[in-house]
Amino acid sequence: MIRALLLAAVLVVMFAAPAAAHNVTAGADLRIAQTIAGAEVTLVIKGTSRVPGPLRIGVVAFERAAGLPVSLEVRSLTGGRTVKGVARAAADPEYAELRVEETGPHQLTLRAGDEVAVVPFRVLVDRGSAGDFLIYGGLFAAGLLLVGGLLTGAVSRRGPAMMLAAGAAAGVTVAAMVVVFEPMLPPGPPDGAAPTAQTQPAGGRPFAQARMETAPAGPAPGQEFTLRVDLTDGSTGRPVDDLVSHHEALAHVVVTSEDGRYFRHVHPLRTAAGRLEVRLRADRPGRYLVYAELEREDSGGQLLTGEFAVDGDPAGAATADLPAAVPELRPAVPVAGRPATIELPADGAVRPWLGMAGHLIVRSQDGSFLGHVHEMGTNGTRLRFTFSFPRPGRYLAWAQHATDGRIVTMPFTVDVAEPAG
Amino acid sequence: MKRLIALAALLVAAAALFVAGRTSGAEPLTLTIAGSRYTVTVLIDPPRTGAIVVDTRVTSGDADGMALSAVMPDMGHAMPELAAAEREPGRFVAEGELFTMSGVWDVSIRLTGPAGEETLTAKALISG
Ligand SMILES: [Cu+2]
Repeated sequence: MIRALLLAAVLVVMFAAPAAAHNVTAGADLRIAQTIAGAEVTLVIKGTSRVPGPLRIGVVAFERAAGLPVSLEVRSLTGGRTVKGVARAAADPEYAELRVEETGPHQLTLRAGDEVAVVPFRVLVDRGSAGDFLIYGGLFAAGLLLVGGLLTGAVSRRGPAMMLAAGAAAGVTVAAMVVVFEPMLPPGPPDGAAPTAQTQPAGGRPFAQARMETAPAGPAPGQEFTLRVDLTDGSTGRPVDDLVSHHEALAHVVVTSEDGRYFRHVHPLRTAAGRLEVRLRADRPGRYLVYAELEREDSGGQLLTGEFAVDGDPAGAATADLPAAVPELRPAVPVAGRPATIELPADGAVRPWLGMAGHLIVRSQDGSFLGHVHEMGTNGTRLRFTFSFPRPGRYLAWAQHATDGRIVTMPFTVDVAEPAG
Repeated sequence: MKRLIALAALLVAAAALFVAGRTSGAEPLTLTIAGSRYTVTVLIDPPRTGAIVVDTRVTSGDADGMALSAVMPDMGHAMPELAAAEREPGRFVAEGELFTMSGVWDVSIRLTGPAGEETLTAKALISG
């Protein structure tokens, strides 16, 4: 009976764990890569252990970002209070300290150059554990009842004295059980957590659909333009505004020219609900393919695609193509559907970027397939990727890693053979 | 001895209730949302499926119109807008059905006024 009830207690609290979305808790930083003011940075919001309390925000520089001032504005979406600060991007940044008054939903407005991003997040603070309450409550009740039992016993009322003693024993039992079972009990939801249902629906959220366009439409070669991605929920028609940080970004956007000579891997800014924007420039006219990798809350990752055109005569001095890398392939000619390993030397000391040592983007020549592979088992001087190319044919590939002050991109092609037989 | 076990069981049950109580909200549900133009305090009574009353006070900003709607993000359910009537300056009341099943819903409050339109959204846990 006791066991059954205790099990029930364990089960009741098991289903109360909050889903991790944009949560900022002590010990769990929120990291979001941003392409802003021509720079590649990662925004870091560190958790606080109390409110009112300090919220520390830093901007890690990866490319063209050292010293970039980023103005910060944190607003509580319940209390409405706004606090401001400035963070200067650096490889090992100093953190600006902003005071938050309460837990719950907040938004951070970032400004650098003439670009603005609005990042929603939740401040969570752990509450004291329920276990502590039960341990001390149980012992306290036991103490009271024991004293009562002794007093009643002293005036020779055996029945009530026994009852009180039994109660005391029960209190001690509860305390002891909690001491034993406490590690099995997940803590209650932290203060400021989004409400969660007792039973989580399985299957994830509806699909997101992207409308991709440039402003201005049909930008000229060499002209700066904004690539805009508007996300719509396929079931409700509402803007999709529940993106979680997926590999340290709200979205990873890869833009390539049809011929593969142009390649950008950028992290657009959230400028409004369901809207992501990034500034780009392309030197050559033609068709450009866009791939956005993102993840909705309570869902898995998804890839959305689009395209745009650059119109007009090539810009005067087009940027030179990146030198092609010569990777080591195992097998030497990869076979469709079987794992192939691609290894190549890093250019400089590898610095973790987007939570990984290295990234490999592969695109089928016609653009109908895109893969994003993570580096496995680096020793810091070489990058190694394993991937099963789904179909035979030519693939365009770009290996990337961060090093001091820049992101290295190494393009190459891979020809994949048909399986024998 | 039987009494002891019964008492211990009761205490454990009380403990379970206490832990469960920490995770479920009290009724009615109150949400405060601070937007850039308006701040509202929304009282949903009761936070349940079926006919409900939503009593909203605009505590900051000058709103002259309000409509409520809801979506259940996990399921992709969307509900039509419910117009709210201004009972007194800054107080809007809407009656009708906003939630069709239990779970977490996004409640959107669309406000209009001289300062312009703004939609404020907050999460609400709805029971069956
Ligand atoms: Cu990325």
